[in-house]
Amino acid sequence: MEDFLYFFTFQDPSITWVVLGITLLGIGSAYVGTFSFLDKKALLGDAISHAVLPGICLGFVLAGEKDPRFIVTGAFLSGALATFCSSWLKQNTKLSEDGIIASILSVFFGIGIVVLTAIQKSGNPEVAGLNSFIFGNAIGIAEADLFLYGGLSLAILLVLSLFLKEFRLMVFDPGFGKAIGFPMKGIRFVFNVLLILVVVIGIQAIGVVLMAALLITPGAAARFWTDRLQSLLLLAALFSILSGILGTYVSFVLPQMPTGPWVVVFLSLIALLSFIFSPKSGLIRRFLARRSYLNKTHRDHLMKALFKAKEAKREVLTLDEIHALYPFHKKEISHSLQILVQQGLVLQDAQGIRLSASGTSDAMRIVRLHRLWELYLNESMNIAPDHVHESAEQMEHLLTPELEALLEQRLNYPTLDPHQETIPRESHDA
Amino acid sequence: MITQVPHPVLEVHDLTVSYDQHPVLWNVDLSLPAGQLIGILGPNGAGKSTLIKSIMGLIQPTSGYIKIFDKALPEVRSRISYVPQRESVDWNFPASVLDVVVMGTYGKLGLFRRPGKKEVQIAQEALEQVGMTAFANRQISELSGGQQQRVFIARALAQQADLYLMDEPFAGVDMATETAIFQLLQDMARAGKTVLVVHHDIHSAMNFFEWVIMLNLHLVASGPKDQVMTEELLRKTYGGKLNLLTQVTDLIRQQDFNPLKS
Repeated sequence: MEDFLYFFTFQDPSITWVVLGITLLGIGSAYVGTFSFLDKKALLGDAISHAVLPGICLGFVLAGEKDPRFIVTGAFLSGALATFCSSWLKQNTKLSEDGIIASILSVFFGIGIVVLTAIQKSGNPEVAGLNSFIFGNAIGIAEADLFLYGGLSLAILLVLSLFLKEFRLMVFDPGFGKAIGFPMKGIRFVFNVLLILVVVIGIQAIGVVLMAALLITPGAAARFWTDRLQSLLLLAALFSILSGILGTYVSFVLPQMPTGPWVVVFLSLIALLSFIFSPKSGLIRRFLARRSYLNKTHRDHLMKALFKAKEAKREVLTLDEIHALYPFHKKEISHSLQILVQQGLVLQDAQGIRLSASGTSDAMRIVRLHRLWELYLNESMNIAPDHVHESAEQMEHLLTPELEALLEQRLNYPTLDPHQETIPRESHDA
Repeated sequence: MITQVPHPVLEVHDLTVSYDQHPVLWNVDLSLPAGQLIGILGPNGAGKSTLIKSIMGLIQPTSGYIKIFDKALPEVRSRISYVPQRESVDWNFPASVLDVVVMGTYGKLGLFRRPGKKEVQIAQEALEQVGMTAFANRQISELSGGQQQRVFIARALAQQADLYLMDEPFAGVDMATETAIFQLLQDMARAGKTVLVVHHDIHSAMNFFEWVIMLNLHLVASGPKDQVMTEELLRKTYGGKLNLLTQVTDLIRQQDFNPLKS
């Protein structure tokens, strides 16, 4: 608790700086990452973030110490080389894109690890800091370095807001962009530079291995909540900042704890919650929608049974008789009965169960839809009368009043279905 | 049966196009009059889309050139409007109908300038013309195929051009929408615009187009509808494989270089 207060009241200026840095980084990576996620180029970000490792090591060797200017430059150059290689290979070979990206990632990362091991063996006392580039250590960033990272983040945000319209076009319809004379190749080049830059400034805090998660997960999680680009970008940035700060906090409280994995843990948590709770396409939402639909089908079946009995001149059925019709859904039928009684569609007394006046009208509509659909299948789609029942069992719960009117019109208000049963209508319709 | 016209809106001169080493259009040479509704007909793989894309500068021709309003493409780009095939984009992209139609104004806006009130106004007028005003704020993934097609046409209208190139704007469109769009295109032609449409259905082509181009790897015909929509030319376009041309294409593909490239 003490740590919590100490961290979040920002008494320590160095914490303020780190939080500010990770916020800027979060916004930048969420923006750039969301575009590459929408562009279905998520893997490219992963390849680039692994591919900067040899550049980091090279920068370290040239500077002889952990000088951020050398390291950032080295990382940028090796990320750029990887990006160039991937687009060159794509244009000049018949290799598939995923194959190219996988090879680039492993080749560059492999070389990086080899060089890193060689440096570690060399006994340079400065080498300890290099390990933090693998999994990231936000707290370990020196204040002076923060200005470099923060400045680059700001520059990225500036360019992004300038190119918003152009990047939208690049992702949605680059062919159209070219047709109206926009330099689409140049725009993609700028975007790739931003992507590499975001990775380069993120590695100190998040690490090469997990940087891709900071790029892609915020956008992917935010996509569950919105259908608009502007709000998608804002939400992605929010998710990214939130997990960035929480991850930094954990690595501040628990010594020796790397930042990157914790940021990814929080990001994944947000993505998981979005997947479950999203009001549009979330797991819970879909589960509820399906359950309410199933409940409706059971109620419809109960009313249909009562209506058919009525057609056979039996106004009242006992619960046992209805259960006998749907032997596998006794529990659901009993539950539906309660609801229908509450709604006043069905009446239950000592003699048994019967339809009320409004219930009769509703039940008639279900039976009507069933038989209309059977007739439609039979007449318009040439399906044999003994093959139409199954489909009608499903459609009777689905068809809207508009489609019902269309069916009636198309079939010219028929009186009999393919099984020579009457298609029931309210008397004033007839 | 190829009719050339004086002072053409569009002149395609000896155009040969190949993908890598695969020739898909052979020596197309035609000129088109202004203010007409023009159909491009031909079987699958005849090179119809390729012709449109070459005119739009999206594909580099192997040889030949194209002149629009007697000028090269970059000089007159703002006077040309383009409707790509509907399947060429991902309709799950987070955007509203209005967002997409506003893209039609990007060309005149140029780089870095954000669309403002005027651009939204133009987009809304374009939406009204295709009867999609009620859908302006709808997410594009929720649209039916025909509605998506109309959004693309509205985007082209928002470009406010003189020459319209449309790649299969009637693919996946129901009959009522097809007729409505055709009427809109006829109105545009009457107002002096030239509209070039890649189309599949010979029957509706007969009803709506004034000028018809028939392609099957090479140019079979180009001229007023009444003169080119003959049984013989249609058979030439749709019937029978072009056995010899296909064999030559295969021969070229087996080379280690493209011998057609000058």
